[in-house]
Amino acid sequence: MQLAVNIVVLASIYALICCGYVLIYRVSRVLSLAHGELMMLGAYGLYATASLFSGQPLAAIVAAALLALLVGILVYAALMWRMTGESVLAAVLATIALGILLRGAMILVFGTQTQYPLRDLGWENVSIALAGGARISAVGLALVLCAVAAYGSLFAFLRATRWGIRMRAAGQNPLLAAQRGIRLHVVYALAWGLATFTGGMAGMLIASDAGLEGTLVIIGLKAFPAALVGGLDSLAGALAGALVVATAEVLMIHYVDPLLSDVVPFFVLLAMLVVRPWGLFGSREELDRV
Amino acid sequence: MLKLIRNTAQCSLAAALVAAPALAQDAYVIGVSAALTGPVAGTYAPVIDAVRAYLEHVNARGGINGKPVRLLVQDDGAQPSKAASNAKQLIAQDKVLILLNTSLSSTYAPMVAEAKRANVPLYFAGSVCPKETFPPADPLQFCSTAFGATLDSQAALGFVKAQTSEPVRIGFAAMAIPVSRGEIDYAEGLSKSLGMTPVDKQITPPPTPDYTPFATKLKDARPNWVWSWAPWVSQVRTFEALRRLGWDGRYITWAHLNAEEELARIKDAKFYVIGTNAFLDDNLPIHAEIRAVAHRANLSHPVSYLTEGYVVGLVLEQVLRNTPWPPTPQKTLAAMNRLKVDLKGLRGGPLEWTKDNHFRTRQYYRVWHWDGGKNAVVRVQDWKALDVR
Repeated sequence: MQLAVNIVVLASIYALICCGYVLIYRVSRVLSLAHGELMMLGAYGLYATASLFSGQPLAAIVAAALLALLVGILVYAALMWRMTGESVLAAVLATIALGILLRGAMILVFGTQTQYPLRDLGWENVSIALAGGARISAVGLALVLCAVAAYGSLFAFLRATRWGIRMRAAGQNPLLAAQRGIRLHVVYALAWGLATFTGGMAGMLIASDAGLEGTLVIIGLKAFPAALVGGLDSLAGALAGALVVATAEVLMIHYVDPLLSDVVPFFVLLAMLVVRPWGLFGSREELDRV
Repeated sequence: MLKLIRNTAQCSLAAALVAAPALAQDAYVIGVSAALTGPVAGTYAPVIDAVRAYLEHVNARGGINGKPVRLLVQDDGAQPSKAASNAKQLIAQDKVLILLNTSLSSTYAPMVAEAKRANVPLYFAGSVCPKETFPPADPLQFCSTAFGATLDSQAALGFVKAQTSEPVRIGFAAMAIPVSRGEIDYAEGLSKSLGMTPVDKQITPPPTPDYTPFATKLKDARPNWVWSWAPWVSQVRTFEALRRLGWDGRYITWAHLNAEEELARIKDAKFYVIGTNAFLDDNLPIHAEIRAVAHRANLSHPVSYLTEGYVVGLVLEQVLRNTPWPPTPQKTLAAMNRLKVDLKGLRGGPLEWTKDNHFRTRQYYRVWHWDGGKNAVVRVQDWKALDVR
């Protein structure tokens, strides 16, 4: 039972992070390699709002989440918007530069010391007993609930709302979408905003569980194989990829060797690339175009 | 007009290039390559901040042998290629007397190569002491960092044995980096020779998003003690995950820079840290000095993080004091080969380097934990010495 809980929590972490990669790629065909840094910025946002809204943890969380959304929109408006018309590679390189800039800026502003946003919110990461003798931490449970809420909302948004349908249209055929009057820049900005929002949520929750430090950026990159396994342009794929990678990782740690946990996501990815290069739920033609 | 400006700029640049070595000759120049940015900066930046603050304090008191000390710090971001270019620049261009490494072990090889090429002493300050600093030592490599491979496990397992009346079932936790894995492998073998039963060994990748899967396996092996020797993040997250899984055993781990602050955060009486640097709670006269120096330098790190860097500062001061003017790397090397520094209580005894031993001749250990009754961090074991042979 504990193994199942461990798989679900790890899959939720990966799913929440992958969401951002997929949203941006699906809409604009740009692979954001600054996602780990934006995730960390979201966590620092919570650290900042926790002291700003001292004694009001819910207000601090809402403010940090909105801040993450705003940061994503600003990144698009200030940087990625200018990459319109440039090659995809140029846009990807721009995200790498953005990542380097953000990493340096965060060290300058927040220093190198480990921070504990959950403690600053006045909360504790308690252990919750489950059926079958298993346990889950409060933050672990929050991660699962947030992942479910994020994916549920995004599926509903993309299928049932006007802006969601516009986003899908822009992703499928930007030229046609533009000719039909869809304002592509607004759609792209929204995608960046939502991606940074979900990435920021992941960053906040991971930092609440394990403390906030520079290594969070690398965790952002560790989720990348899950997105590729699922199919880089599919949200359902991201969910499935996260579950596959998390299952392989947890089982490998428990039954084979913990040392292999670091390589197993890439092993799964390699296997997927051999068998089905476009991922579990990815679109074949889109990958051919890349 | 444009030509005039260009010529003036060229002349200024030439004058600056000529003046730079002249300025360097008026001071003891020390070069540092440190991981001041990147994911591991939290471990190394406080050390360099403390060294810088201490040397500013020394300069404010009139310098050493009447000469100021210049500390040239280059960031390597824990990247070997950057460390190599930093070392080249510091040796060839800045003519440093000593090269300091305060970074990950992956940066050692290129810096050692550059130091050997120029015959400049290389001092590992706050970074893991390489085996070449232990007897019989490499002629150019020195180290004052608190932790020492194999000795730390000997001290920790010795403490575990002394504290436990029932049979010891010991688990181990390391990070998937060579230095941590090597130490835990050594500890596993040592535990058997001490009559303990090693039950499991968990090695976590750096970093990992969730430590629970690792802790689950460790807990299932039912250890009553766990020894962890790794970067702090790995040590403490494994412990916290174990506790959240309901494990009730005792956990001993290495006291990194932030240990004092972290013990007060974790507040668990069965969580022990073993280390060689005195805690600020001792309130020694040197601690008052560290506080004052940190305050003057306006350092952002908690004062409890600065001990390691302050030790480096004391060592450098003594080395340079024993280096006659005009200094050369060879004179500095000679001074380092016969060094005895009074650390004023920051460690259990003086730090001594000899020609064959560039680590220290004796290592002193203390153990602390959180005492709920006293609501404070308390010492469980006072200085216990191990000879380094």
